[in-house]
Amino acid sequence: MDTFSVLLVDDEVEFLETLVKRLRKRKLDARGVTSGEEAIQALKETPADVVVLDVKMPGMGGLQTLREIKKMYPLVEVIMLTGHASMEVAIQGMEMGAFDYLMKPMDIDELVYKLQDAFKRKQLQEQKTDQVVEKLSKLN
Amino acid sequence: MTILANLLRKIGFRKQGDALSRGSAEELRAAFKARYHNFTLLLSANNKALEIMSEMEEALKGNRTFGMSFIRAQCTGVTVNVFRIIQNLDRIAPGKYKELFDRFHDIQNSINELLASKKLPRGDRFVIPFSEIDRDVADQVGSKMSNLGDIRKNLGLRVPDGFVISAAAYERFFEYNDLQSEIDRLLQASSVDELDQLFSLSAEIQQLIIRAAVPEDLADAIREAYRELTIQAGAGVKVSMRSSALGEDSAGTSFAGQYRSELNVSPENLIQAYKEIVASKYSLQAIAYRANRGIRDEDIAMCVGCMAMINGTAGGVTYSRNPLNIRDDSILVHSVWGLPKSVVDGSAPSDLFVLSRMHPLQVVEKKIRDKEFKFVCYPDEGVCRLDLTGQQGALPSIEDSQATELAEIALKLEEYYGSPQDIEWAIGQDGAVYVLQCRPLKQSESAPGQYVQAPGAAEGEVLYAGGVTAGPGVAWGPVFVIRKDSDALLFPKDAVLVASQALPRWAALLNRAAAVVTEQGSAAGHLANVAREFGVPALFGVAGATELFETGEEVTVDALGQRIYRGRIESLLTRSDAVRNLMAGSPVYEVLEEAVEHVVPLHLLDPDSSEFRPKNCRTLHDITRFCHEKAVKEMFSFGSDHRFSERAAKQLVCDVPMQWWIINLDDGFKEDIEGKFVHLDNIVSIPMLALWEGIIAVPWEGPPPVDSKGFMSILLEATANPALDPSMPSPYANRNYFMLSRNFCSLSSRFGFHFSTIEALVGERPGENYISFRFKGGAADSQRRIRRAHFIAGILEEFSFRAEVRDDSVSARIEGYDQAVMKEKLKVLGYLIIHTRQLDMVMFNDASYNHHRDKLLQDIHSIITPLVARNAVPGRDMENSPS
Repeated sequence: MDTFSVLLVDDEVEFLETLVKRLRKRKLDARGVTSGEEAIQALKETPADVVVLDVKMPGMGGLQTLREIKKMYPLVEVIMLTGHASMEVAIQGMEMGAFDYLMKPMDIDELVYKLQDAFKRKQLQEQKTDQVVEKLSKLN
Repeated sequence: MTILANLLRKIGFRKQGDALSRGSAEELRAAFKARYHNFTLLLSANNKALEIMSEMEEALKGNRTFGMSFIRAQCTGVTVNVFRIIQNLDRIAPGKYKELFDRFHDIQNSINELLASKKLPRGDRFVIPFSEIDRDVADQVGSKMSNLGDIRKNLGLRVPDGFVISAAAYERFFEYNDLQSEIDRLLQASSVDELDQLFSLSAEIQQLIIRAAVPEDLADAIREAYRELTIQAGAGVKVSMRSSALGEDSAGTSFAGQYRSELNVSPENLIQAYKEIVASKYSLQAIAYRANRGIRDEDIAMCVGCMAMINGTAGGVTYSRNPLNIRDDSILVHSVWGLPKSVVDGSAPSDLFVLSRMHPLQVVEKKIRDKEFKFVCYPDEGVCRLDLTGQQGALPSIEDSQATELAEIALKLEEYYGSPQDIEWAIGQDGAVYVLQCRPLKQSESAPGQYVQAPGAAEGEVLYAGGVTAGPGVAWGPVFVIRKDSDALLFPKDAVLVASQALPRWAALLNRAAAVVTEQGSAAGHLANVAREFGVPALFGVAGATELFETGEEVTVDALGQRIYRGRIESLLTRSDAVRNLMAGSPVYEVLEEAVEHVVPLHLLDPDSSEFRPKNCRTLHDITRFCHEKAVKEMFSFGSDHRFSERAAKQLVCDVPMQWWIINLDDGFKEDIEGKFVHLDNIVSIPMLALWEGIIAVPWEGPPPVDSKGFMSILLEATANPALDPSMPSPYANRNYFMLSRNFCSLSSRFGFHFSTIEALVGERPGENYISFRFKGGAADSQRRIRRAHFIAGILEEFSFRAEVRDDSVSARIEGYDQAVMKEKLKVLGYLIIHTRQLDMVMFNDASYNHHRDKLLQDIHSIITPLVARNAVPGRDMENSPS
């Protein structure tokens, strides 16, 4: 599969750094930030294909960040990854358009698979949107 | 998504003319791709959901320990995946099954209610003086301290002055630092079955608590309570601080010695000691104990009792009955010089006074042990161990009259509480008896009749005879000698724990230990209590055990018979009981049991029934089943709804005299083809090709010879059951349909009266690979059909499938293996669906059953490589954190 860009958002710095490193080893264009606010800023500067978002963070918090991301970049796929399993938060996030909700401890390969699936979905959605845009432009 | 779909519909995306322009063919191809991707996402969520469901069921069998964090994670995992299933079905067929979302939310709410922890109001005072404590405030101070207050108030027994730092204080402390959510996070990330993880988990949580700040209002309240204590007990009085956990009585558990106590604490260190005791809620043994007994972490609030320190002449523990023998009503007094510490922690031998409960009370038996040291208070703070010199060590630590006084107190307490009691006490410098702690005593069943104690009666080489029975029972296993703490990390499951002292910290190993043998310690210690509770045979006082036995050597420990034998002594082992499921009946277990009810039971069984509707989905499994069925149907019909020849069903060109139709879902063909036929060499679907190999491996010899009864049975069944009429219309008609992609294949087939479906995903991700198989029907009578169902299930199990038979249908699943293994399993299935046709007719007796079974197995083994018959273990590399 083609390489794609991943933005990791987690306030646990140690976890974040090792995860970025491990994803890079797997040939993904990965970078990390430690808060929701930073994530929004980072996306403004350089877009990402998939965002991996910790749900429980000080400041903006995961769900709020998810909402913002989906508002600004509806095609960016967001995977929630959390140490605090919560059914309510999980389903809320899914309803807001998260691609999936994963729990730590996480098998790194499984995470990579999810990232690939999310990216594939993004590509397909983009293709669809392109076609619609093309059609609309022909209609006009 | 929906907006997009509507938009697409509006601009005519879904309406296709007969002739496709190149552009719209491109669009349609994209639409197929998107649909197929949704379908694979649905399948992967489906797979994950089923996997979690079986883990939840597995947990209920009691073979593993789990806590609330496990249940929360499993429930969250399964709901998320079921939600994804519904979402993806909704993308495949927009709006068609919307009702499922409502059913889903209803179920989710029910589970949520179960998981929400119900916190009861527990009063708002941070500290409560002993003078105001009785059993009515147990939910504010914990049962240990409420008992003490009660005894003092209502029985007039002597209890040191003091106060309790309450449950409200604990909650204030935790909330102030947001400790609970951090602890939950750490618990979720660790496995309590892994000892090394447990060690670091315990250390991490305890440090977290000790580092946290006690809020000023709470610290002030504690200091003020201490100031008031000095009014009664004298300026500068030292205190002993003891845990009094709230919720520890649930599930009839005793929590013996799981928590920390601090003796002789100076006023400057009250706050620090408070934190350390609270932290001991997460001591290794406490975490393991809660996990093993299914106690919810959040149900335990640590209250801490502070009592004026009694620097006594002697101390010990009284049992109002014999804990080892339910039929023995003697009163047992264990005693040592100085503080009772060494009796409680099992670190030294103690004197034993046995009293009969006939009035007047009398000492009927006395065992005065050689006591090498005693614990006393340091003047400033803490306790120290003093060696006993001269005569004192060999002298009785209490007089007979004091033993009698202690026994009377025990009887009083037993009468008051109506059950046998375990009492810790001290004798002050003034000679007065102080009760320090009192709790229900758990007596062991010595299983009368089943176990006849006959010392020396067993055949075998006795390696050691003697010692003190601390927990009855017999067990066998390899010895593991623990000399230092870190040895505990390596303790293997089902080994015999051999250590020098009976330290409470070994309690964390008891759920793994077959038996416990120690050189020192008494049946009154904490480790002994826990051993009895867990039903682990324990023999203490085995002199020189750590030298006598070597790690790895196999022994049989007969704790009641007080003997250790070389090797495995069958005659002894057959008498002992099976280990009970410690989780069953516990609060955590009950939560899981109730949660599973909303998740696992399957009510929607028959897709052809009119009951097979969203509104009848009562569990997450029902939803899963419903969505899967519909998704496959939708994928199947989409091709035919859109007259798009690339994706229409094509007939397979092959030598097998049956009709095989192929639908390419995505990338199952080497190249797209227009016509009505497809050749095998144009197919690149990995699972399909593997299945096909099995199908054609051995030519079918045609139907087996049928006896006249078998034939009659078909005729009768066919007239009685119109659904068996092959001319009846059916969704798949009398054909075999493959749906393919490179890594996926589903086969729905109907051979005469036999329906089967196979679905397989075989790709680069072993964790997502699976094969599922369903088989139903047959023409013979139901008895023969059921027999065949069992026949097929039996063969599949031989090849590591998990198979289930319900009436005449079989369902089987296997997952998690790599490509090579999955392909072999598919070959087996391919062979089976061809060669078990019409076997129902010959299922009339065992001989025929066995004959056919042997033939089939022989065939299968000839077509697969030997590697598969042996079990490769599904490879999963779970890690704690990515590192």
